[in-house]
Amino acid sequence: MEFVQKKTADSAVEAFLSKAAEKGISLVWDRYEGSLPQCGFCDTGLNCRDCLQGPCISHPFRDGSKVGVCGKDKDILGVHSFLRLVVHGAMAYLDQLIDFADGVRAGQGSPRDKGKANKLTKDVQTLLSDGGAGVLGEFPKALTDAWKAAGVYPEGVAKDLFKASQKLDGGTSGVQDTLLWAFKGALLGCVAQVLQGRLKAAVFGDASPGNVEVNLGVLQGEVPTVLLYGHFSPLLKQKIAEAAQGKKIGIMGVCTDPLIPPYSFAPVTNFGSQEIPLMTGAVDLIVAGDQCVNPSLAFLAEEWKVEVVQTETLKRGDDVGNLARKIIERAGKAFEARGKIAKDIPQVKESARMGFSAADVDMKKIAEALTGRKVKGLALLAGCNNVKFTQDQEIVSLARELLKKDVLCISEGCASVSLAKYGLLNPGNRGSSCGKGLSDLLLSVGKDLPPVVDLGSCENGGVTEFLLAMGKAPRELPLVACFPEANRSKAVARAAWTTAMGIPTYFWPYLPVTGSPKTVEALGDFCQKTFGAKLNVLTERMEPLEKADLLMKGLKRA
Amino acid sequence: MQVIMVDREKCTQCHTCALWCGIEIGSVTKELNQAINEEPKPVPRVHVEGNNLPLHCRHCEVAPCIDACPNGSMRRDPKTGLVYVHEPTCIACWMCVMVCPFGIIVPSSSDHGAIKCDRCRNMEYPICVEVCPTNALKLQETRTGLPEGDSHYAQYSKGLEGSW
Repeated sequence: MEFVQKKTADSAVEAFLSKAAEKGISLVWDRYEGSLPQCGFCDTGLNCRDCLQGPCISHPFRDGSKVGVCGKDKDILGVHSFLRLVVHGAMAYLDQLIDFADGVRAGQGSPRDKGKANKLTKDVQTLLSDGGAGVLGEFPKALTDAWKAAGVYPEGVAKDLFKASQKLDGGTSGVQDTLLWAFKGALLGCVAQVLQGRLKAAVFGDASPGNVEVNLGVLQGEVPTVLLYGHFSPLLKQKIAEAAQGKKIGIMGVCTDPLIPPYSFAPVTNFGSQEIPLMTGAVDLIVAGDQCVNPSLAFLAEEWKVEVVQTETLKRGDDVGNLARKIIERAGKAFEARGKIAKDIPQVKESARMGFSAADVDMKKIAEALTGRKVKGLALLAGCNNVKFTQDQEIVSLARELLKKDVLCISEGCASVSLAKYGLLNPGNRGSSCGKGLSDLLLSVGKDLPPVVDLGSCENGGVTEFLLAMGKAPRELPLVACFPEANRSKAVARAAWTTAMGIPTYFWPYLPVTGSPKTVEALGDFCQKTFGAKLNVLTERMEPLEKADLLMKGLKRA
Repeated sequence: MQVIMVDREKCTQCHTCALWCGIEIGSVTKELNQAINEEPKPVPRVHVEGNNLPLHCRHCEVAPCIDACPNGSMRRDPKTGLVYVHEPTCIACWMCVMVCPFGIIVPSSSDHGAIKCDRCRNMEYPICVEVCPTNALKLQETRTGLPEGDSHYAQYSKGLEGSW
């Protein structure tokens, strides 16, 4: 909750900050500063608004209001604050999956592997009362046994998320019990993510790694440009790309899966600077989902006369093919109508090789290198951007440090786009970015591997598939997960299931649970006892170097 | 003298002023996450009561707390007119606590002394005014101890009528 002097490490984005100030347009950084100081009770999880007798707080300094009207004390408030985020985050994965599966079942696409797609859509249909037994059966037995013993083995939406969400309504559960409900819900989110990745492969075919260009310089200016924002059905994305075939139309993405075979949508920027592409004047139409899309885009779109098509509407009567054709048509018209609007495209872009999977690398060798300590360990870099930090600086500095220290780094989603902007997903930078041991390993386990290995969009369970392919329980290997600039509730759910897999997890900014010492302790020691890993709540101010040292210590536990 | 005025129409009783006063003035660590778990508990100098009224010291022109203090520990800064506790000599007799008409002064056994708002006299700006999210708190110059002109601001004698 502090003023951040330098807003972004991305020079292409930085150039637009003064331009916005000149025009009197407020961007995410201005809005953040306007909100300072943010509410201290909310920041520490000491507040509740779950019923209408409140809002309640537990006042840390005042005896008269230590406990909410219904009796939630600071510890229950703290653990509920975590649970609320996890339930919201886990539902986000289920929402994406069910949308996609419904589309496949309705015949919106023609799956490459019909049999597999049919089976997967059936699995999705039964998720209400089944936790995805097929997927869960593939996890190491030691892990699923631990989940069963703790009572967090997923049993389906009804028994996981519905029940977990009602813990917020009341009941007499204590901190640890409530926390376990959060983990149960989060693991269902994990299953949903894996199912979506598999359905994507069944429908569009297995994706091989693709070369894409990243950052604002990918915008063209001289042709109509459509930007896909956030998460919505991949089938619509496919249809939009199909409708644009043979036409001079640029289709790119922000905070969305960039690879839908055979098409790719260059990531124009990442979460923190998602408003900036509209300011270039080179965007004619945006297709916007809900997840990961800032409401401020509506205002900016109006300002730059950009057409907006919402995907998540109440009346989605239109066939996706028709909708896609209309989108392309409207983009063409918008381009003509917007002819007089000045275009200002920074010539900044980077090449990146994205979308690897376990099939593209020698998993046996990687597992051997980890057990034999040929590299220091494996770190998952996840999360997106958070305005509380200089955009990209934390994750990129941390990755650079880990690579130098011979830690194999994997990433997904928006974290990958952050890293790609600075060349860390460019195979050409492998030698200069990585320590000798890591560089040798990357060279020997696959073709054209970049310093950081991107395992695909956050929509798909690439990271979980990668861990499954390792063939060992994660707690037996030197693994850590870090979220250096986390932001969405999805990241909280993701961090929870990563911890439940036995991977020590480091999360920044600190989770809003710090008002409850029992919750912080439970995320630490109790999770260590139950799952073999902690979800670390870190309140101290740390430089990226210190963070890297902390992660190195985490790797040593195995 | 500059005193803190409260716009009761803007105050939402969010307690943000009390929280940050406790952290910035009352705590040892001055950090939100540490301060909220400190023992002994930090004591905020401002108290939010019913009827949307954060209570601060009024730094009365004729201050009963100064008159009641047996050993001169309750003092007035001759430059600013602000009333404060000289902590090293306070004997924790709670005379000031008893005579304060606003109930502003807190007897603190853990600190062995009386604790009261000194309007952040050693800081550039009072922390409560700085953090108030609705701008209900304002620092305002007054000659008589009551605000001039702007009747929108609750005057303390008036403000308390409702609750008493």
